[in-house]
Amino acid sequence: MKEKINISVDFARVRLANPVFTASGTSGYADELAEFIDINALGGFITKSITLKPRKGNPVPRAVETDSGILNAIGLANIGLENFIKEKLPVIGQMKTKVFVNVAGETIDEYVTVIQRLSGEKAIIGFELNISCPNVKKGGITFGTDPVQVAEITSAAKKVSGDKILMVKLTPCVTDISVIARAAVDSGADALSLVNTFTAMVIDIESCRPVLANKTGGLSGPAIKPIAVYLVNKVYNEVTKNTKIPILGVGGIRNASDAVEFIIAGASTVGIGTANFIEPNCAMKIIEGIKKYCVRKNIKDIKELVGTLKI
Amino acid sequence: MSLNSHSFNKGTFDVLVTSNKKIGERFYRISLVFEGKGGTAFAKTSAGQFAELDLSTTALPPLDTISENLRDTAERKILLRRPFSFCDVTTKSGKTLVEILYCVVGPASLRMTTLSKGDSISVTGPLGNGFSVPKNKKIALLATGGMGAGPLIHLAKTLKQNYPDIKVTAFVGAKTAKELPFEKIRKSEPTDFARYNVKSIISTDDGSMGVRGLVTYCLTEWLDENKSAAKDIIIYSCGPEMMLARMAEIAQKYNVDCQISMERMMACGIGVCQSCAVECKVSGSRETVYKLCCKDGPVFDSREVVFEL
Repeated sequence: MKEKINISVDFARVRLANPVFTASGTSGYADELAEFIDINALGGFITKSITLKPRKGNPVPRAVETDSGILNAIGLANIGLENFIKEKLPVIGQMKTKVFVNVAGETIDEYVTVIQRLSGEKAIIGFELNISCPNVKKGGITFGTDPVQVAEITSAAKKVSGDKILMVKLTPCVTDISVIARAAVDSGADALSLVNTFTAMVIDIESCRPVLANKTGGLSGPAIKPIAVYLVNKVYNEVTKNTKIPILGVGGIRNASDAVEFIIAGASTVGIGTANFIEPNCAMKIIEGIKKYCVRKNIKDIKELVGTLKI
Repeated sequence: MSLNSHSFNKGTFDVLVTSNKKIGERFYRISLVFEGKGGTAFAKTSAGQFAELDLSTTALPPLDTISENLRDTAERKILLRRPFSFCDVTTKSGKTLVEILYCVVGPASLRMTTLSKGDSISVTGPLGNGFSVPKNKKIALLATGGMGAGPLIHLAKTLKQNYPDIKVTAFVGAKTAKELPFEKIRKSEPTDFARYNVKSIISTDDGSMGVRGLVTYCLTEWLDENKSAAKDIIIYSCGPEMMLARMAEIAQKYNVDCQISMERMMACGIGVCQSCAVECKVSGSRETVYKLCCKDGPVFDSREVVFEL
C-alpha cells in the first residue's frame, strides 16, 4: 500500500491543504482562472492588488517578453475596494482555498482603510501587503525599500487587520533584503512573501525608446528564479529560521522541481506567477509533482523539507 | 459569475499538426486537429476568436535559412504562448480541424514553420469574443490589411453558410502583391475569399496587384456609390491599428456599423495578466477605461476604441 504523504502546511495561524499558491497579479480575482482549473485544489490564492479607488493602470505596451522572462508594467489596474467587495468577494466566499487579498496604495492611510474595511470579511484569511510594486509613481516600491517606512506601514496595517494574517511582500531591489524583512517581522508581519519583480528595461533599438510605455517594468519568470531562491534562503537564514514566520517563495517557478528548490531554500509555501500565463493548470501539476518528489525522497511530511539546504 | 464555470468549454489541449504549408515568401497556413474535449471545445469557435499556441519547445529552422533581420531575435528563448486567430474551423465526426494563417515575424512564428504533420503542440482556447452579426444587416463588407485576412476569411465562411441573405464583399489590402497572405485559388480570384464565392476588391500600396492605394480608399469609393443602404451595411475589419482607426472614421462618417479585431501584445490571453489593454470610451462620459483585448475583445465596436497611433 502506498504510504500517505502529508503536504499540508501550517502557514502563520492557518492550515493549508498544500503549499502551492497562485501569486498576486497572475491569477486575477479567481473567477478568470476558475474557467481553466479547479481553483479549490490550490493551497492558497492571492488576489491581484486592490486599492481604495479603482485604477485604470498604465498605457500600453504594458508587457514585453524577454529571454526566459516577462517585463510588465500594468500599474496596479484594479476595480477598487468597493467593486471588489460587491462583485468579487461573494465569488471568493465560495472558495475552499484560503484567500489573501493583496493590498496596495499610495499612502499609508489608503492601505489602512482597505485593510480595515476587509478585516471583518469571512471570505478571506489574510492580506498580502504590496510594498514592492515597481510600476507605480507613488507608493509601491518606495515603501518597500526603506526599513523605517516598512516598519511604519506594517505596524499600521497590523493594528487594523484584526484576526487576519498579515503577509508582507518584499522587493528584491534593495541592498540587503534581510534588513527589510526584519523591519516587517519586528513590526508584526505574520508571514513574508518574496520576491516581487525586478525593476528592468527593454529598449527598442529602432526607435531608441523603451518598449514599455511606463519605460521600466518588473521582470518575472524563469529568468529571475535563481536570484529569488538565493534571497529566500538569505531571509530564511538571517531572519525567519528561528521564528514562526513562514515564507511564501515566489519568482520564476514553473514546475515542481523549481518549487522544491524554494522549499529547500526555506520557503514553507510557493507562489506560481508568470507560469500561470503559459499554463493555467500549472499549479495543479506542481502540487502533484511535489507529492511525487516526497514519495521518491521518502519524505512523509513536506514540513520536513523546509530549509534543509545543506552547506 | 460562479466558480463552477470550470466547464471545459475551453482549456489547454495537446493537438496534432496535419499540415503546415508555405503559401508565400513569409506566409504559412497550418492545420491542427482537435479530438475529444478539445474537439468539442473548438467546434463552437466563432470567427474572430483566437487560441494561444505554445511554441517554446518547437525547433528553430536552420540558422542559414533565417532572414538576417530575424537572426538576433531568433536566438531568444521564448516563454509565452502566442495568440493566433483562425482562418477556418471545420468539424467532422467528433474531430475539429482548425486552420491558421500566419506570417513569420519573430522568434515564435519562425519556430512555427518547422512544425510538420504528426507533430504535437499545446493550444489554449478558444479565447475571446468573435465577430457578431446584428439583426437586419443585408450587406457585410470585410476589410482586411495584410495578415488581418485570417479571421475575416473565417467570417466569410460563417456568413455564407449561416446568413444566406447577406451580401458579402471583401476589400483586401496589402503593401505589395507578395504581401497578400493567400494561396491562389484561381487566377481571376487570387484570395481565399473565393473559396466561399465572396468577391475580393484588392488594393496594394505599390499597385502590384489590384487598385494602387489603401484598402480604405476602395471601401470609401464603394460606400459613396451605396450611400442609401447605410443602415443595412456592417463593416468587419482586421489589420494594422492605423487602418482600423481609419475604418472607425469611415464608419462614423457614413453612419455604418463597424466591428474591428484589435491586436495587442498578450501574455496570458485569458484575462489575468492585464497586459493587452485597449483604451475604450465610456458612453455619456469623457472618461475612458481600459478593456482587455483577450477577454473583452479582440473584436470591438469601432465606436468605442481610442486608438494608439
